[in-house]
Amino acid sequence: MTPDLKVVIAGVEFSNPLMTASGCCGYGEELSEIFPLSKLGAMVTKSITLHPRLGHPSPRTAETACGMLNAIGLANVGVDKFIAEKIPFLAHQKTKIVVNVAGSTVKEYVEVCARLNDCEHIDMVELNISCPNVDEGGMEFGADPKMTEKSIRAVKKVFHRPLIAKLSPNVTSIVEIAKAAEQGGADALSLINSLVGTAIDIDTWQPRLTNNKGGLTGPAIKPVALAMVDAVYSHCQLPIIGIGGIASAADVVEFMLCGATAVEIGTALFIQPDIPIKIAKDLKTYLKDKKLTSITNLIGKVRKYK
Amino acid sequence: MTKIISEDISIVKKRNLKNDYYSLVLQPFSKVKNCRPGQFVHIRIPSSNILFRRAFSIADTNPEEGTIEIIFKVFGKGTRLLSFFHENDYLNVLGPLGVPFKLPDKKEKVLIAAGGIGLPPLLYFVAEMVKRGYNPKNIEFFYGGKTSADIIERSRIRKLKVNFHPITEDGSFGKKGLITTPIEEMILKNKTEKMKIYGCGPEGMLKTVNELGLKYGIEGQISLEAPMPCGIGICLGCVVPLVKGGHARVCCDGPVFDIGEVVL
Repeated sequence: MTPDLKVVIAGVEFSNPLMTASGCCGYGEELSEIFPLSKLGAMVTKSITLHPRLGHPSPRTAETACGMLNAIGLANVGVDKFIAEKIPFLAHQKTKIVVNVAGSTVKEYVEVCARLNDCEHIDMVELNISCPNVDEGGMEFGADPKMTEKSIRAVKKVFHRPLIAKLSPNVTSIVEIAKAAEQGGADALSLINSLVGTAIDIDTWQPRLTNNKGGLTGPAIKPVALAMVDAVYSHCQLPIIGIGGIASAADVVEFMLCGATAVEIGTALFIQPDIPIKIAKDLKTYLKDKKLTSITNLIGKVRKYK
Repeated sequence: MTKIISEDISIVKKRNLKNDYYSLVLQPFSKVKNCRPGQFVHIRIPSSNILFRRAFSIADTNPEEGTIEIIFKVFGKGTRLLSFFHENDYLNVLGPLGVPFKLPDKKEKVLIAAGGIGLPPLLYFVAEMVKRGYNPKNIEFFYGGKTSADIIERSRIRKLKVNFHPITEDGSFGKKGLITTPIEEMILKNKTEKMKIYGCGPEGMLKTVNELGLKYGIEGQISLEAPMPCGIGICLGCVVPLVKGGHARVCCDGPVFDIGEVVL
């Protein structure tokens, strides 16, 4: 029997636990030239803001040891153009659509989500309360439990489908923020966003990003992400979508054992854009080898030392 | 069938062209017939230390044999490691990627501005033009480097029967100076003729080529280089500002842009 990769989060069924991570797949058009997006559990879009954003000037990415720094600066077409021009394409891809939303004020989050609520093709919204690359908002929301709760509560009033809160690792206690998101009415949590970092060019003495700092992603952050997923899983009831350096089926298994119900694949898409296809295949082989009928059998089953 | 694929293909021929310059011929590339001059391939360099693929302009193709050639200079840790690979080793190649050069009109004079390791896409482009029956005597091939050691594949250029103008900064081979000086002289000498200019090379050179094009009303294209994490337009890491406003991705809106299109 072929093992079942299906997972359910907040009542939404996904054909497999593999999603794209926001900012790593644009709006799906380019990736669809490489593989059918229907092979994904869900497509998580680039962060959408109320108004279009150009983002920071180049260089806005830098390669580091086993990782990548980026400070794109939330470049996006803005919510109206997104709904008018990008959703019609996504709606035909036979995959679940999760729209990532960023903002600098509660009002902005609410405004964007209200407009998305009128768009029937959207399955979920992922609230980016944790982007390190904007001067205002973003991070402060995600670093303050009260603001986290307040912004989620406000969005829940206007967006009537499941809401995911995307959490920042750049906080003293991610568990506190997770609890605040749960309190505010979030239906799921995704973690982690990128870790704040920088790199310097020793010839020019300038940072390698025009934003002077950025977010670290890729294999380098996987151990940090795993520990955080594990901590949040132990203290929160909400389903978790694990993010951070996932590039193989083994990585997915690790995240699920620590408590993730699904995962988002980010930086690995830049290196091997069709990696979700290979991961799905390898996951099936793994489950078969372990004589498991469903991938959900892995969730939170890490066997910890006493 | 998708337009872009990644596949493991082997190095069938490796040549150390000169000092730090290498040529690798890879086979069998299943998308060889889709390749056009100006496009590039994104190559994964197997190493725990190198995360991203590296972009290499296609230097030549042989559709019958299914081969593509890349030419590179050892510049950083990625190209250093790539230079250690041998014949029969496999590399994962993604492509062909990017927008190719637009062919000029057959009657036009063609000015080629190749600077340093900007040579490969232009070598492919000119070879393609010659193959398509363009008169090589209408092609002025300016190729500049720091020293004689930076002027590679000379016999290959000569074989194309184009007007070859090598230039070096120290005068150790060909004329001394920067290529943009004799290019401007050529433009002034042939003012009445219709011509196109194509450039690839260091940013300063491209800036001047772009300015010359605008100054004398000569259309043409330049091929840009940028660090590209993904190469397929999804990371938005390689953007350049456009004259009309907004950003373009070098990897998929380029790397070839029209003269006057981008802010350099």
